Amino acid sequence: MRKKRLLAIALTAAMGMSLLAGCGKSEESKDASASSGDTVKIAVAGPMTGDNSEYGIGFANAAEMMAEEWNANGGVLGKQIEIVKYDDKNTSEEATTIAQKIVSDGDAAGVIGHFASGVCMTAAPIYQENKMIEISPSSSHPDYTKIGDYIFRNNTVIEKEATASVDLAVNDMGKKNIGIISIMTDWGTNTSQVVKDIVENLGDPDVKVVAHEEVMEGSDDYTPAITKLNEAGADVVICCGMYNLVAPVAKQYKAINPDIAIVAFSNAYSQQLIELGGEAVEGVCFPVIFFSESEDPTVKEYIEKYTEKYGAAPSALTSQAYDSVGILLTAIEEAGTTDHETVKDKLYEVEYPGVCGVTKFDENGEIDKEFIKVTIEDGKFVKMGE
Amino acid sequence: MLIQQVFNGLALGMGYALIAVGYSLVFGILRLVNFSHGSIYAFGAEMAMVFIGFQFGIVPGIIAAMVLTGILGVCIDKVALEPLRKKKSMPIASLITTIGISNIVTQLLIVSLGSEKRNFPALFNFGSIQIGNIAVSSTQIMMCVVSLALMMVLVFIVYKTKIGLAMRASEQNAKAANMMGINVNFVISFTFFLAGVSATIAGVLVGSYYQIVYPNMGYMAGLKAFAAAVLGGIGSLPGALLGGLIVGVSESMAATFLGSTYRDSIAFIILIIVLIVRPHGLFGRKGITKV
Repeated sequence: MRKKRLLAIALTAAMGMSLLAGCGKSEESKDASASSGDTVKIAVAGPMTGDNSEYGIGFANAAEMMAEEWNANGGVLGKQIEIVKYDDKNTSEEATTIAQKIVSDGDAAGVIGHFASGVCMTAAPIYQENKMIEISPSSSHPDYTKIGDYIFRNNTVIEKEATASVDLAVNDMGKKNIGIISIMTDWGTNTSQVVKDIVENLGDPDVKVVAHEEVMEGSDDYTPAITKLNEAGADVVICCGMYNLVAPVAKQYKAINPDIAIVAFSNAYSQQLIELGGEAVEGVCFPVIFFSESEDPTVKEYIEKYTEKYGAAPSALTSQAYDSVGILLTAIEEAGTTDHETVKDKLYEVEYPGVCGVTKFDENGEIDKEFIKVTIEDGKFVKMGE
Repeated sequence: MLIQQVFNGLALGMGYALIAVGYSLVFGILRLVNFSHGSIYAFGAEMAMVFIGFQFGIVPGIIAAMVLTGILGVCIDKVALEPLRKKKSMPIASLITTIGISNIVTQLLIVSLGSEKRNFPALFNFGSIQIGNIAVSSTQIMMCVVSLALMMVLVFIVYKTKIGLAMRASEQNAKAANMMGINVNFVISFTFFLAGVSATIAGVLVGSYYQIVYPNMGYMAGLKAFAAAVLGGIGSLPGALLGGLIVGVSESMAATFLGSTYRDSIAFIILIIVLIVRPHGLFGRKGITKV
């Protein structure tokens, strides 16, 4: 009995101590940032754990690499750059909490992130209301940038990308019976609708969507949906999902119909697609705005550096995050301050030459870029038609 | 298309059946729903992937994963559940503990291996057999063969061996069994080991069917297998097999006729209906107190 009581006291004491310690620490850090302010903080928010964590970690790695490059040249405005990571687990709930924390701390120069469109769109109103800059490297939902003038994206809006995907299927591959398989998220549902509209407006009576199947993200078994698409006579399938949808769909579809053609989107452009899909993803093609096998020396140097540092080649979205940090820092440098309003105005003017080509935001905070058509041959990404 | 979907569902259902067996084995002895079983299944599959990656052969790799996962099952019982039994805690305490362990195992897997989906080698890749316009892949056939063989081995162990006799005795009355000279704690450990081994085999089969493994793979599969176990009558081995097949086929049917979005709910809808009509499941015995 006595032992137990002792243990209880010890535990209570330990808990109290940790609480106190927590208080002390947070006060300290707040003081430091408020009084001295000798660093420029950039928040990176994305899924660092859980499903899709490879994307969030990619964002953070890219941001840190860019910050190191700037820091080596003396930082920005004479201050060192500090990357602060936040883990939103790709859920809207966490993202709201994080957004509120970032705006209430108020010392971040801007936010790079939130990964999924749906998550971005729950966090963005909080940033907009509190005049915090948010640049998402990945969101492609059309409504995202409409939330406000502090909200930017360094990714093409889905209509343009979907037009490129449909163009790939219809003109480059010459297919007419399109099947769609999409994940059940804001992004997936919207994208599949956009694809349908585009196909309808093509004005070619031979080209049609023969079937559309919605699947749960991460359910692994897509054979029932695939069997239905196959029965409907699809000769090309447009996969609205990330690599973890495209790879199993390619495998399971090719087990039923080895001749099926598969078209995906730029968010499936990741080395993991090849690792996971193996032979089945040969011939899968998609439009991208960043191409890692490019001959451009800046891109080559960047790829080499990233691969050496983190052990894997960067994906398209990681590279878009890398450029996003560069754009934000350039805007801060040119504005000569970290004041959010001035930097925001500057962001609309900056023309940034990065690894994804020259980036310039239009008046809605959108970018417009030429797509590169990429396919997989012999386990490697290659430009189509070369 | 209908028959094709039945075959797809049977292969899926065999996977659920093998996981469901683990629930039934442990429930049979402890009257405890071991909710950590889904994560043990994911652990087994991930370990098999890691060991196969070590290049000392596929079969030794799988056996190593089976042994390791079995030991994990025993450890979970020794570290977390046995102390609770000794203190005669409420059954609900053990139940919550298993849910906690499930999270711990999954998170440890994510921390050490990362959350991304990884490639798992296809073990039975001999192409597919065409019967009329139905294509049955060799993996689907092998899944059924291996599952049935394993099920027979388990039934043999439980009904024809000495340790099986001890298991059944402990199941009926642990105290009396103890007095008859049966080491009940050893029997429980053995049961957890067996559950871990069968979970690994399930993980390897399902992993090689989809050629994908990841730490969260046990969450939904675990819940559906639990539904399958209850459906067939928890504690019963043939019940687990039948329950798994029903869940698998109905899921495949639901995806075909209602749309893929309904596939995850159908297992639980069937479960609720069966529990209302036959509270003890299809093969269950009366008089079992459910948690």
